[in-house]
Amino acid sequence: MSGGEAHVDNSIWMRAVVIGGVFLAIGVLAFATMGVGVANVKHHDYEDAQHDYEEAKDLYYTAKDAYTAAAADENTTATELSALEDEKTTLKKAYDDAHHHEIEAHLSYLTWRTAGVTILLMCITYAAFMALGGFVNSVQPSEDDGHQESHYGGDDHEHHGSASPIVFALGLMLFLMGYPKFQEVLGNMLSGADFALGDLSMSMLGLTIVTIGIANWWREDLPFIGNGEQIATSAPFEGQHIRKAGLWVFIMSEIMVFATFFSSYLRMRTGWCTKWSWDEGTCRELDLDGNGVTDVFASHELHPDFVMTASDYLRPDGAAGTGDFWTMLPGAVNTFALIISSYTIVLALKTAKAKNWEAPKGALGKLMPTQKAAIRNYLFATFLLGSLFIVLKLIEWSHLVAEGFTIGSQAGSIFFISTGAHGVHVFVGLLVMLYLVFKADTVGYDEKNAQGIEYFGLYWHFVDLAWVVIFPAFYLY
Amino acid sequence: MGEHEASGIFEKTFDGLLGQDIYFWNFIILMVFTLAEVGAVFFVGIPLTAVWAILIGVGIVKGYGIAAYFMHLKGDPRIYTRTALFPVLFVVLMIWGIGLSNPDGVDALPGWCKPDWDYANTR
Repeated sequence: MSGGEAHVDNSIWMRAVVIGGVFLAIGVLAFATMGVGVANVKHHDYEDAQHDYEEAKDLYYTAKDAYTAAAADENTTATELSALEDEKTTLKKAYDDAHHHEIEAHLSYLTWRTAGVTILLMCITYAAFMALGGFVNSVQPSEDDGHQESHYGGDDHEHHGSASPIVFALGLMLFLMGYPKFQEVLGNMLSGADFALGDLSMSMLGLTIVTIGIANWWREDLPFIGNGEQIATSAPFEGQHIRKAGLWVFIMSEIMVFATFFSSYLRMRTGWCTKWSWDEGTCRELDLDGNGVTDVFASHELHPDFVMTASDYLRPDGAAGTGDFWTMLPGAVNTFALIISSYTIVLALKTAKAKNWEAPKGALGKLMPTQKAAIRNYLFATFLLGSLFIVLKLIEWSHLVAEGFTIGSQAGSIFFISTGAHGVHVFVGLLVMLYLVFKADTVGYDEKNAQGIEYFGLYWHFVDLAWVVIFPAFYLY
Repeated sequence: MGEHEASGIFEKTFDGLLGQDIYFWNFIILMVFTLAEVGAVFFVGIPLTAVWAILIGVGIVKGYGIAAYFMHLKGDPRIYTRTALFPVLFVVLMIWGIGLSNPDGVDALPGWCKPDWDYANTR
């Protein structure tokens, strides 16, 4: 370390490029094993189950027709009719079992396929994030070559402010302006339809500026060892770190965003006739066309005025009849994963701020032999738990879509938009966390520069807090 | 978050208990309440209002635990709590005004909400 900042040479930036390569390898490996290897085996099982189902269906309907014909025939004896009825009952059970097995096989296939594809796409994004950030900085002249002691000229009194967020925001705005065309061109590319590469210009310009913004942000923050933190000099945050105040104002705006989703959901939910509201007697004035509500919900043939929510598919007593312990599991595991990840980031900060840190005893001590390694590993554990959240969420989505709960319905629209917006927040947090892990592994954190972990932790806890509202509202109620 | 000392009944009871700090106990309480939250839906047959009460009660406790201890609003200067609570007025207005009070809001807006609507359409 020199002057007011740590010295960061190009080899450190190249390490980010190497880490990007490692992520790419992990993604390809996970996709090859889960998304292709296991998923193909599961797909064969699914095809066999489909075949068994079709056979069982034919046998059942043949037996049913035979029974109906025999019942109409005056020459059929009671013993023959009873035997035919027994056969029909047995085959109906086999038909139901085959149908159940087919659904199970399909969902099992979707689980492995979705997990493989999700991990691949996540790792590609992680790899691009790390490799691009590292590469852009590694090709710039080293600070030693410029005869400067540090990025801020070694002046301890220079502030740690940055224009990079503005550059980043500008790039993001351009990307979103070009997003409709971006999505259209990508769709056409994947489906083999005609497309014009020029349509990508706006979004690509945006992504380039985003990359420059992020890379420059890294370059400014990585050497930061705690000197030059800007302090607010006027009310209402007088004496407080400006970055912390800014983050709280950002969280304030985020509360509004999620409140918008939640109030929209409440508005729709209070107007829907769900099984729960029916059971409570709040929508019984609806004309049921002679169908009892139990039959309507049990048969899956819904009355147009009845609404199935995501929780109807996931809860054990949900109206769709598809819910059990296993359908609740991904959402429940995700809830625990977020809470544990909130605690691991608290541990990372606590370790960074500890003045007399001692390595824990036993197995944990081997994982965390030094303070630097402990901070990095706590952050990495947070990163893994967040990644698990995304994978489980997409597996759950794939199951819901397969069971007929799509974004095309009003209930599906608010569910996928709200949980999707939350998922995007988690994923953006994971990218930032990657950088924190990288910094913890290179320059390192201590009690002087631990604000990076603290401020990111505030964002991460907010994401956890949003899930505290989303999970019961969308999954349990 | 982990940088200031906070004092209160919860801290006095749990901080240092079994050699663990307040963050550990907050984490344990969050885990236990989450278990209760998920478990509530497996009790088929309990009234909807009871499920609602459990979910809202658990939500409040979890929200407080995360905001007060993990985000360290308890112990940080008051200005951060005020900043966090600032949008509450708007959130309450949105939930009440949009979410709960007007189920026909989308399809049957009152006339005063759509002045010159017909004119705008025909034009």
